[in-house]
Amino acid sequence: MLFKILISGDGGQGVQTMADIISQAAFSKDYFVSYVPNYGLEQRGGSSLAYLQISDDAVAYPKFSSPDVLLIMSDEARGRVSDYIGKSASIFDIKDYLEYLNENNVNKISYNVFFLGLLAKILDDNKIGLSKEIFSVLEKKLGKKPNWEENKRYYLLGSK
Amino acid sequence: MFGYEVAVQAAIDAGAESMFGYPITPTCEILSGWANSGKKCLQTEDEIAAGFEVCGAAMAGEKSFTASAGPGHILLQDSFSMAEAMRLPAVLIAGQRGGPSSGTVIYSQQEVMLACFGGNGEGMRLVYSPSSVIELYQLIRRAFNESWQYRYPAVVLTDGYVLKTRQPVDLSVFKDIKNIPPANLVPEGKNIHWPNIYTSEEELNTILEQNKKDYDNISGEVESFENYKTEDAEILLIAHGIIGAVAKMAVEELRQKGIKAGLFRPITLRPFPRKELNNVCCWKCIKRVVVVESSFGQLARLVHEQLAQEVSVSLSYFQRPGLGIESDEVVEFVKKLEI
Amino acid sequence: MTESKTNLAKFCAGCGHPIVLMMLHKILKDKKLEAKAVLGLDIGCSLLAWNYLPINTFQTHHGRVVPTMVGFKRVRKDSVSMAYVGDGGAYAIGLQSLFHAALRDEPVVVFVVNNTVYGMTGGQTAPTTLVGQVTPTSPDGFGGVPLHGPEVLKQVANKDAFIARAAVNDPKQMLEFITKAIEAQNAGHFALVEFLSFCPTNWRTTGVDTLKRLDDMRQSYSCGVL
Repeated sequence: MLFKILISGDGGQGVQTMADIISQAAFSKDYFVSYVPNYGLEQRGGSSLAYLQISDDAVAYPKFSSPDVLLIMSDEARGRVSDYIGKSASIFDIKDYLEYLNENNVNKISYNVFFLGLLAKILDDNKIGLSKEIFSVLEKKLGKKPNWEENKRYYLLGSK
Repeated sequence: MFGYEVAVQAAIDAGAESMFGYPITPTCEILSGWANSGKKCLQTEDEIAAGFEVCGAAMAGEKSFTASAGPGHILLQDSFSMAEAMRLPAVLIAGQRGGPSSGTVIYSQQEVMLACFGGNGEGMRLVYSPSSVIELYQLIRRAFNESWQYRYPAVVLTDGYVLKTRQPVDLSVFKDIKNIPPANLVPEGKNIHWPNIYTSEEELNTILEQNKKDYDNISGEVESFENYKTEDAEILLIAHGIIGAVAKMAVEELRQKGIKAGLFRPITLRPFPRKELNNVCCWKCIKRVVVVESSFGQLARLVHEQLAQEVSVSLSYFQRPGLGIESDEVVEFVKKLEI
Repeated sequence: MTESKTNLAKFCAGCGHPIVLMMLHKILKDKKLEAKAVLGLDIGCSLLAWNYLPINTFQTHHGRVVPTMVGFKRVRKDSVSMAYVGDGGAYAIGLQSLFHAALRDEPVVVFVVNNTVYGMTGGQTAPTTLVGQVTPTSPDGFGGVPLHGPEVLKQVANKDAFIARAAVNDPKQMLEFITKAIEAQNAGHFALVEFLSFCPTNWRTTGVDTLKRLDDMRQSYSCGVL
């Protein structure tokens, strides 16, 4: 089994945080993981990409051009990953979720938590059960911060 | 004229208006010669500054150049990489000396890799290797013309022997060479926004592919070589620069001894005259190819890279890093070859 | 190479660069010097200005923008040749060339944007880092000696060169010094203006704290004409 996820968004949206959490979760369940970030020059802004691979075997090469899952979290990122759109098995684009996110009062800076929940569900659906582990790493990271209850809600919303 | 005097004259005749340089043996006399020529000259604080000042002058639309060697040639890779990236017509006269490090101040053929592939690019440069003082003049004229015409940095790769040699030269034969005029690369008010760094790998790759395409397109115009008695040669010598002249003498001496020798001499090292090299090496009469150079194989490396897979030749190497080579040494070496 | 197009500003929110560039543009525009202006950039966050202003702009290499502009100006004597560089490009890797440009009184204008860190690479120490400052390469607090660039250059510059320092929260002084720097170049002399600037991203400060830190910098780096 080799599952490839390409997460893309604006710098500052927490793309790398998401990838880091999933990596840790997968690693804790003895999967082989490969994760490499990809950015532009700027310290802030620009597009932030994370190439994530979860596998039963060691992964030799960190990049791929045909993701199983392509997640697009901003307009600029959509432009940046345009070459991947035709080559992705499934695409999850924020423009399809904006209404739902607004209806449910999801805070813009926490979109990544919502989508983390979504990715956890997708992994479950693909028989890579990591929801417990992902939630556990997320809780360790954000549990002690003031808006944890909110973030928990966003995560659960995404994983529905 | 001395080699260095010819170099200065060639630059003047090529329409160069300025030189930026740092004194380093064996090219000091080019800098002082230029400084005494009445043209604009600046002795800089180091070769790094010299190279970037040449780039700045070129961007401003002026033919400018520098001269250096050894450790200075290394420092020039910073600016010449920028020139490669931005397609700037920077010109360098490099007088090879012993290396690595300070080596000797005298002579070698050990800066071939530096001239051709130094820096962090792909070697899209024009590199010329003159075998005589008169050819030094010709190739400097070409370097200025072709770098401005095709927009690649150019290196005239000579050495401390040629630069300090005095030979009778008749430059009048070259009086009709036309000069390509410089271009204004940053016109006033044009609003050019000119980067050399890019956001993504794909952006850079696209630009490099285009630069390569342009480079391959000009190869036909630029690549140059000399074929000397190769048509029926059984021993093919490959040599460049002053050793090319030595190898030619060796061909004569070998022929007198009844050995059918020939010489393939690349005059441009970049772009390398690949087609002709393979053409010559395919000739059925050739029993052995001998690459002769004052280095541990920098020319040989270029030859290997350019030899097509289908071409099977038996190669031998006569290598004397940092040392001059005389024709009788080459003759002795060839005689001893077991063919 | 591209012609001018709509800029997607890549500077961080709260960066000092856009302030400096805006002030520069105002002067160039007011004095109708946009066409003659040529802006060379160093590496680091300064390179993000490559398509920022409607003037001829190009990138160079780290520490090499000054010699590039020296070469350029020597050919195009009627241009307004400016080198735009951070504290690292000016006072570390490029110090040799900057020093000699001042020594030779080369008629280039050098704008140094000093935020005491190497911004683009993540906030490492710079020649202008202050004693005790914590950075990724000085985790126990910087123990070196901060470099006062304009003061050093003043020692060797021509008496008619213009050397000054202003802070990005003092627009009046910025405008004055930019104007005088360009005038010095027109008169054939070297000019350098160091702008004390902020980098909230790498300082990890926000709002009021950022401004306070800038004011702290002014205790070590005094503003005015040298």
